[in-house]
Amino acid sequence: MSQMMCRILPEVELKKGSNIMVYGPTFSGKSIFVRSLFRDLTSEGYGGIYVLTRDSAESFIEWLGEYYDPEKIKIIDCVTKSMLGNARDTDSIKRETVMDLTGISAKISKFFEEFWRSGVRDVVLVFDSLSTILMYMNLQTVFRFLHILTGRVKMTGAIAFYIVEEGMHDEKTIVTLKQLFSGMIEFKEENGRKYVRFVSPFKKTEWSEIAVDENAVVVV
Amino acid sequence: MKVVTGIPVLDDMVEEIPEGKVLTYWIDPEVEGNVFAMQTLFTNLESGCKCAYFTLTLSPEVVLSEFEEFGWVVGSYENFTLVDLYSPYVGMPSTCSLNADPSNRDAVDSLVKKTIRENDLVVIPISSMIDVCGEEVAELLGEWCETAANSGSRLVFTFVSWPYPGNVKKMVANRSNAIVKVGGVHHRVILGYYYGLVKVDWKNIKSRAILFKLVRPGGVRAYIPKILVTGPYNAGKSTFVHAVSTRAISVDRLGTTVALDHGHLEYRGFSIDLFGTPGQERFDPILRMLGKEALGVILVVDSTKPETFPRAKQMLEEVAHFGLPYVVAANKQDLPDALSPEEIRKRMFLPEDVPVIPVSAIKGEGVYRVIDALLELLTGSWQVSGDEFEIPA
Repeated sequence: MSQMMCRILPEVELKKGSNIMVYGPTFSGKSIFVRSLFRDLTSEGYGGIYVLTRDSAESFIEWLGEYYDPEKIKIIDCVTKSMLGNARDTDSIKRETVMDLTGISAKISKFFEEFWRSGVRDVVLVFDSLSTILMYMNLQTVFRFLHILTGRVKMTGAIAFYIVEEGMHDEKTIVTLKQLFSGMIEFKEENGRKYVRFVSPFKKTEWSEIAVDENAVVVV
Repeated sequence: MKVVTGIPVLDDMVEEIPEGKVLTYWIDPEVEGNVFAMQTLFTNLESGCKCAYFTLTLSPEVVLSEFEEFGWVVGSYENFTLVDLYSPYVGMPSTCSLNADPSNRDAVDSLVKKTIRENDLVVIPISSMIDVCGEEVAELLGEWCETAANSGSRLVFTFVSWPYPGNVKKMVANRSNAIVKVGGVHHRVILGYYYGLVKVDWKNIKSRAILFKLVRPGGVRAYIPKILVTGPYNAGKSTFVHAVSTRAISVDRLGTTVALDHGHLEYRGFSIDLFGTPGQERFDPILRMLGKEALGVILVVDSTKPETFPRAKQMLEEVAHFGLPYVVAANKQDLPDALSPEEIRKRMFLPEDVPVIPVSAIKGEGVYRVIDALLELLTGSWQVSGDEFEIPA
């Protein structure tokens, strides 16, 4: 696991095939945390698949800067196509729309196949974020989609992170989604301070205070 | 007017979609199967049929651009109608004259019926409709099929088989006169894609699976699966390929293979191409090149020569890089000093789930068991069966 993960959640060891929900309020640092984790892991040799529902592929690539390697990093951009109908795909960037869950599922699967056939066995998948999908599609539909996707992650031995915004969904939605995940990285903000912890059926860490800038999350 | 599927091989099987019939593309959720319906529509649009296409999860502009990606400029055809259930759903003004809010079940029902009556072929994404409008929409299928039967139109449904309740799947299956399964060859990842006719009530056809690739532009293209036959020098690879193939050719020099063995096999409804690689190390680049394209591997070993097993393991490691399923053919079992398959497994440190099949390629014994074992390893999902559909008698 990445050095950042070791520093922030030292007691947590994520096994291959894990599906992790990343949950917390807006601006609590969860997106930066996951992006940094993704950047670290792909730098360490992992194949990376990043599904974007809020930012375009181009802005994510800009954020990655020198770390962007199209051989190792595959992007599914669910933003640009609905704005510019004719946005073209490349080998490492595929454009879908947030409501086309079949298209997203097929593209993720194709990237898994490409990594597998090229001998890359360690793969990290990030879904940033599920909340956008839940704005358009009902819970049952998203659950079915995730049922297939989390199953594929287990089969391939990848590690996947799914961002969910706190406060955007009712309790039933969160409880239903939790059934699909093997654990949760939870963020909270209190009195202007940010905290993170890991929760799973077998482990619950203490809250750790963190500081977040636009590039990384660090333990205070 | 004759309406066809426009899909290679499938049209040879079903000939046409007769008036009043419903053909469903039953699609694995991880496969880009909607292209089948798009290709069916475009093929018939070109031949002058009036065709309509419903969209629920993509804007009309995106739908047109997706068709264009495959080289099908449907927007320029006067006989094409795009029915927009997307824009009203997301609260945008529609650019299509035919549109409705999918949350209004009656409006959707009457728009679908009107569209069926006015067209020769109508494509409806049933699973998207269920996702957006709710499962109750499946109850309307009977009336839509009846409308098609009465007006002489044809329906093409796309149904992505997400884990819906059994009754929903059954309702869609029962309303379909023909079902074409579009699936993936599942291993740890999906290694390839296939389609096959599961059910058709207007012809008596023995089903077969066809592998396909999507070509942009071009659409669905059928191809023949490649099986790699590898193993150390003089293990009997060429003999194996010749024994199992209906036609085969080897490129030999001084009695040994120096380029490739190629064999073709028609077996259990599959067309399979076998590629045998030379056993010497200097030909390993060929092994790597073929490994990228193959779906599975047969490793042929000489059961009488354990000293060649390290080389066999080395060759296996070369192709293991591509993560392909493999079977070991323990060849030359007809010779007196041949090791048993279990002894070979032990000496080669092969996992228990790897089939080691006793074979005498020269006598043609056991060779088809090797093919069976490999097909079985490809999870069986490749084989087209109707089990999932509870097809009514």
